[in-house]
Order: sequence, then structure tokens, then C-alpha cells
Amino acid sequence: MLGFLLARQAGLEDPLRLRRVESTRRNHPDVHKYSVETVQWYPHDTGMFTSSSFDKTLKVWDTNTLQTADVFNFEETVYSHHMSPVATKHSLVAVGTRGPKVQLCDLKSGSCCHILQGHRQEILAVSWSPRYEHTLATASADSRVKLWDVRRASGCLITLDQHNGKNSQAVESANTAHNGKVNGLCFTSDGLHLLTVGTDNRMRLWNSSSGENTLVNYGKVYNDSRKGLKFAVSCGCSSEFVFVPYGSTIAVYTIYSGEQITMLKGHYKSVDCCVFQSNFQELYSGSRDCNILAWVPSLYEPVPDDDETISKSQLNRAFEDAWSSSDEEG
Amino acid sequence: MSRKRLHLVPETLGLKRRREPGHAEGDPLRGEAVHVPVTRPLRPGSARAAVAELVRLFPRGLFEDALPPIALRSQVYSLVPDRTAADRQLKELQEQGEIRVVQLGFDLDAHGIILTEDYKTRVLKTCSGRSYAGAVQKFLASVLPACRDLSFQQDQMTQTFGFTDTEITQLVNAGIFTVRDAGSWWLAVPGAGRFIKYFVKGRQAVLGMIRKAKYRELLLSELLGRRVPASVKLGLAYHVHDLIGAQLVDCVSTTSGTLLRLPET
Repeated sequence: MLGFLLARQAGLEDPLRLRRVESTRRNHPDVHKYSVETVQWYPHDTGMFTSSSFDKTLKVWDTNTLQTADVFNFEETVYSHHMSPVATKHSLVAVGTRGPKVQLCDLKSGSCCHILQGHRQEILAVSWSPRYEHTLATASADSRVKLWDVRRASGCLITLDQHNGKNSQAVESANTAHNGKVNGLCFTSDGLHLLTVGTDNRMRLWNSSSGENTLVNYGKVYNDSRKGLKFAVSCGCSSEFVFVPYGSTIAVYTIYSGEQITMLKGHYKSVDCCVFQSNFQELYSGSRDCNILAWVPSLYEPVPDDDETISKSQLNRAFEDAWSSSDEEG
Repeated sequence: MSRKRLHLVPETLGLKRRREPGHAEGDPLRGEAVHVPVTRPLRPGSARAAVAELVRLFPRGLFEDALPPIALRSQVYSLVPDRTAADRQLKELQEQGEIRVVQLGFDLDAHGIILTEDYKTRVLKTCSGRSYAGAVQKFLASVLPACRDLSFQQDQMTQTFGFTDTEITQLVNAGIFTVRDAGSWWLAVPGAGRFIKYFVKGRQAVLGMIRKAKYRELLLSELLGRRVPASVKLGLAYHVHDLIGAQLVDCVSTTSGTLLRLPET
């Protein structure tokens, strides 16, 4: 949802106030009829972006003319879609809908060419791996997270098992990633690990090649969202952070140790989505209170020297005495 | 007359509350079942020490020794502050075969931790002389040391370990297996139903004690000093460890000690 703002903000003079540059107005002929769930820029340039909505469509827009270039229609409401950021051999968009089948739509040919079967309930989140262009992760309301290779015809690669059972791949039907619906998926920036959040108020970190639960415990990550939750992972920090919407705040954790760093309080209602801009190291979050907040890292203040002259001049003028200590005036 | 007056004034002003004599000093969560000397370190550093401590808190006499002492994973989190380390250490203990982790039925997240030796002795004792004793002994001898997981699959049982369908049904009747899915079972403790009933009721009772307090918060020392309601049979310290570890209450450290507060959400 906030992918829209990332590239726009890079060109603004005053980074502290985000300006709405353009938007499709309500009387635009191609506007979505119901809530827009996911928006994503075309990964290779900003000439195109895609948006999917509860009105069962995925629309592909031309940025310069703000017209729809293509529309994909589905039978069920669309919860989430994602285009691979590293894909060179294909231009597939993975779409998660209320039906149990994951649809892959091809932007080149304009058709829904491929269906991935395996889930039993609605698909709440989909994400391509940033490391391998053919690997896709899907999360569903039936508590399962599946990793797919889209070139393979026979089914998913791995169903994630939270208990790390030895025979878990032999009987896949009983494996669950969470004890409730799985709401959100995010790969780490190197694609080696996958984070999932679920309505059992847990967040789990998985090894994306073996499907093993790394058992990093983040504590209670409160989640009562009935649709997907979009959370973000930092990129380029010395210990990577994950920013998860937690009620009306945003909880920040270090990924590999599970420690909670802080809760960012600023929104008045529940936060729906957040996205991280790695060039400025800023976080943008959108919430139900109709606000988008930009969070900048606070820099440490320089340690003051012991030099007397400098410390004297740092005395705030409000604390200075207007009375002189001598008996004479002035 | 004068005795009556001395009683009334502190009661109305609420200044003095009778403290029970002989209350153990140090960390108030210890020492409820056993008097603990103060020289003990207050927080055990490892999961193994935490499990040993929690097993001591379990009231064996309540179940007439029919149940092995069960600790909960959330209680281990309350004693070992780093959750990731606690999980990994528990996983290691599971791999080494020292503990078994069992799915307690009421909440998919609540795992019970039992020492393997205790589990074996109790199960053998409960199942001795019954019709399913043979299948149970075969299971304890062959499957339990080999497979350390929480759940067992159909083909694993029939092919790797050579169990027939009737034997698996006998294991379900014995209470060792609980159905998870078609062809998949959780490991369970026979006779744990009573424990789960007392546990769920006790948890609700202790949460209710905090909920009814003013501002929905209570000092830990005050909570442990209160009269135990009748529905709490497993002990207040047992339940408080579980509530803190499961994050059902927020633990705030204040100058007067630890404060337990119900979260807003």
C-alpha cells in the first residue's frame, strides 16, 4: 500500500512533509470500487504500478497517463498480490484471493496462466523471494505457509511446520505454521529467512531453504487483523530490524535475536501497514486514522566537552538570571 | 470492648492488613511449597534448572501420584528471561531425551514439559494390569526413545515401528495418543484431564483476582499474600509463573516490587 510513496518521496525537496503528488480521483473511470488492498510499483522502473482491491480486480496502471493498461478479473476478492523484485525470465504477478487457489498472472500476455493448488482456505499473503526468482511463499487462513517453485507442476516444495518434526514432509497435511490464520509474510532482504505473523499473536522466523523454524521467540505480537498485515524488514542496518504493526503502535524487534527494541507510538487507531525505505532509512506507516507517518531514526547527540566556555554558552537563555550579583545596577 | 475497638479502626482505614507469619523472604514466587534459603540465585540461568524448579512447585499430592509433575513452557519463559534461548535449550533437552513436550488440549500454544523418567514410570503404573498394557509397554520401549517429536504419524508407526491398527487404537484408549488429524496423533499424558480442568479454572481465578483489583493491577507480593480462592488448586506461584510467561499480564517493575497489570488489549 505504501509502495506508492517510496519512489515519489525520493524526489521531494522537503522530506519531512510528504506531499500527495497525484491520485486517482473518485470520478476517474477506472477507479477501484472497494478498498484497495495492495499497491506495488513495477520492480524495474516507475513507469507502471499495479493495484489490487476487494472489487475482485487487479489493475495495471501507466504512471504517466494514470490510465489502466490492463485489468485482471477474478472470481473472489483479492487480498494480496506481489511481483517478483528480481525476476528477469518471467513477469508473473502472484495473486492471493478468497479462494484457496493462488493465481499467477502474466503481464506480458495478459492472462492468468497458472494456478497453484494446495491451500484449503483463503490466501492472505503472497511474497516472492528476493533471492530466487521462481520461489514464492504463500500464507493462508488454514494456518499453513507453503513455499512453491513455480516451474514445478507437482505441488509445493515445503509446508512449514512450527514444531520442526522429523517426518513433517512425509505427511504434509498436518503441518501448521501458526495456530491461527497466517496474516503476513516477509522475506528478509537477503532472502535467506522468512518471517510470518499469525492471529495466534506470534511471529516466527523460518529458514527459507530448509523450512525449519529457527525458534526465535518475539513474545506476544498482538494481531487481530482479519485480512493481511503488511509489515516491513529493514535493509542495510547493522542488525536487521522488523517493524510490525501492533495495535495502534509499531513494534520494532531485532530479527535474529528476538529482542523488542521499542514501540513506536504516534497513530491514533490501528496501524495497517508499514514499509521501509532503505535509502533514507525511514519507515512509513499507514493507519485507520487516515494518517501516514514517516519515522526517522533519531541520531545520538554529541557528547559535550568539559570545556568551560562551551558549556557556558550552552546554558539556555531561559535559565539565565536577569539579576546581577553586584550591588550596582546593570 | 476495647478489643472490638482495636479491630475496627484499622479495618475502616485499611491501613494494616494481617500478614501471614513465616512468609519467605527473597523472591516471593519461590518458597510457597518449599522454604527456600535466600542464598539461592534468584533467577536460574538455564532452562534445565527452571524445569527442575517448576517440577518442585507441582502439587503431587493433589493427584495421588497418578500424574507426573507437569511444567508449562510459559512458566519456563518467566524464569529464563531470554525467550529464544529458553526455546532453544528446551529443544536441546528434547533432542537429548531428557524431557518430553506434550500438547495440552485446551490451547494449541500451551505445551506441557515432563521429565521422561517421570512420564515412563507414571504411565506404566497407570496402565499396569489393563488390557492395553502390552501395547503401552511396546510403545514406551521402542517409540519413545526413538522419536522425540510431539506428534506421531500413521505410516511412521506402522512401517518403522511395526504397530498394527488395533494397537494404535489401544494406545488411544490408554490416553497416550490424542487425535490430531487423520493419521496423525499428539503425545498425551493419561489422566491429564483433571489437571487441565484445575489449571484452566485456576488461571481464570488468578486473572480474576487481578481484574477485580483497583486499576486492574496488583503488586506481586500482595497477590501472593492474599487468601487463595478455592478454585486455585495448583498453587498461586504455579499460576503466576504461567501468567507472566504467557504475557497474559504485563510485569512492571516499580520501587515497591513487581507489579502485575492486565494489558489493555
